[in-house]
Amino acid sequence: MSDASKPAGFYTLKTLTPGAAQLHKLSALLTLLLLVFGFALASPAFLSVNNTLTVLLQTSVIGLLGIGMTMVIITGGIDLSVGSVLALSGVITGMSVKVGLPVVPAMTLGVIAGGLCGAFNGFVITRLRIPPFVATLGMMLIARGIALQLTGAAPISQLGEAFGVLGNGALFRVVEMRENGFPRVVFPGIPYPAILLLIVAIGAAYLLRRRQIGRHIYATGSNEEAARLSGVRVDSAKLYAYVMSGALAGLAGNVLMSRLVTAQPSEGVMYELDAIAAAVIGGASLSGGVGGVSGTMIGAFIIGILRNGLNMAGVSAFIQQIVIGFVVIGAVWIDQIRNRP
Amino acid sequence: MTEHPLVEMIDIEKHFGGVRAVEHVSLDLWPGEVVGVLGHNGAGKSCLMRILSGAMIPNGGEIRVGGQPVQFTEPNDARAVGIETIYQTLALADHLDAPKNLFLGRELKTRFGNLDDARMLEEAREVLARLNPNFKNLRDPVSSLSGGQRQVIAIARAIYFDTKILIMDEPTAALGPSETAMVADLIRQLRAEGIGIFLVSHDMHDVFDLCDRVVVMNKGRIVGAHAIEEVSKDDVLSLIVKGELPADWSARNLEAAQ
Ligand SMILES: Nc1ncnc2c1ncn2[C@@H]1O[C@H](COP(=O)(O)OP(=O)(O)OP(=O)(O)O)[C@@H](O)[C@H]1O
Ligand SMILES: [Mg+2]
Repeated sequence: MSDASKPAGFYTLKTLTPGAAQLHKLSALLTLLLLVFGFALASPAFLSVNNTLTVLLQTSVIGLLGIGMTMVIITGGIDLSVGSVLALSGVITGMSVKVGLPVVPAMTLGVIAGGLCGAFNGFVITRLRIPPFVATLGMMLIARGIALQLTGAAPISQLGEAFGVLGNGALFRVVEMRENGFPRVVFPGIPYPAILLLIVAIGAAYLLRRRQIGRHIYATGSNEEAARLSGVRVDSAKLYAYVMSGALAGLAGNVLMSRLVTAQPSEGVMYELDAIAAAVIGGASLSGGVGGVSGTMIGAFIIGILRNGLNMAGVSAFIQQIVIGFVVIGAVWIDQIRNRP
Repeated sequence: MTEHPLVEMIDIEKHFGGVRAVEHVSLDLWPGEVVGVLGHNGAGKSCLMRILSGAMIPNGGEIRVGGQPVQFTEPNDARAVGIETIYQTLALADHLDAPKNLFLGRELKTRFGNLDDARMLEEAREVLARLNPNFKNLRDPVSSLSGGQRQVIAIARAIYFDTKILIMDEPTAALGPSETAMVADLIRQLRAEGIGIFLVSHDMHDVFDLCDRVVVMNKGRIVGAHAIEEVSKDDVLSLIVKGELPADWSARNLEAAQ
């Protein structure tokens, strides 16, 4: 039967107007404000400068992972390996520093390692035609295994002061020396991870909205066959998204390990869920073709604040897991309703 | 007429496992000619057209464009030599709007390599207005448009670029009468410009109205290729259904010739 002869109404079933996407983002933003408001009432320390900084740091890791995840999700895929790739990249950076490489080249090496993991994901998905879920699940084990094997499962510490700058430093920090010889922080400054997140977010938004590769990423996820027939190199678009996801996981790994001033091969377990949740809460659709950086940023802050706020309110780690679990299901459920005719 | 046909397909074959979708098909197309491709559902029309548009790689046979053998491995290869296709499935990305679909894969860019969405919108507005003056929903995702509006976008995309050969796989299936008439006018206009057109259709009226030649496929083979003057609608129907002309066809044709 000819597809085109189906009644016109058929095509309007999956309608997703820009209005609906805007509405979704707005409701996410509202949720975010409600969370801030609620947690501020529950514990006075929540809005303190120090805690705000902590939230910023936590969120920057989720945000970096979430941006890469958003690109992958827009192509209609998923990347379950980011938590493990984060650990592997951090370990590679840590080991490079240990053998005497300066911090910047070492971190670059870590990011490249992440990108290579992503490239492998992309290769397995586009060439071997393995579904993204399976391919990246494999990488999740592979990257974690390599990280543990390389380190003998032991954290690499004593990486030096320079290694900790990215995670602990801040721009415009004002410190004054007190008479007793101890420093006093007058203005805590803007943490480097937050600045890094902002730069990456702007760059990714630019790629997705203003560059051809971004357009092709959306087209691939929207209708892969149509994109192919229109001359889009769908395999390149997918590969690009997975490499970005891997590299950003590498960057997030460096931020996290630098914050701890330790390379931890067991860091980042389950982080992929936070990243997926951030993207989906922000309006990305697991069926592809929809999503954006600004939405994912809101989603990342919701997850970051939820974790931090529950902590501050003294909710046990077990209960936190339960809450986040429901939030993830809820976010995907909203995605489902949105796509329902 | 030029020395060579615009395109020649020689002994094209395509099979999927045991299914022989296209078998030993040879077909050519000359400038300013409209060739109707007919056949029952599953006869292999779309497969043949997809092979010519680079969307499907044949198992055997040769394609020549302007007398030169070519190898199409992806749709871009066919587009590069001026073959544009309106696919039966339309091939639109649902979440993108009309201008983005129109220029998909061939985006206009600014000097700095950024997407020039403003210019794409303007160009799209112009070419779409040519086909449907009432087309207003330029910023809506195409999933929210009607089947006819979607079809108009697919047609616009195929004629916007420098087209020499146009493949139309059931281009009017979802169109209303006035849009169908518009497409018929468009076909006549393109033919006058010397563009060659393959028109896949089930609509006998359109075929006899627009085509210079009809080719009928049955179970992957061409069972008849005739100038439009030498066959009647009943003759073509017989070719489609039975795979052969009515018994009295040659006698009738001889009579008519005298
Ligand atoms: N991708 C594919 N994989 C397997 N079989 C296919 C594929 N595409 C087409 N076929 C088969 O090839 C045959 C010809 O299909 P085709 O789409 O060319 O028919 P058609 O003449 O265009 O029919 P319609 O009038 O319904 O559009 C059919 O038997 C179909 O099942
Ligand atoms: Mg067909």
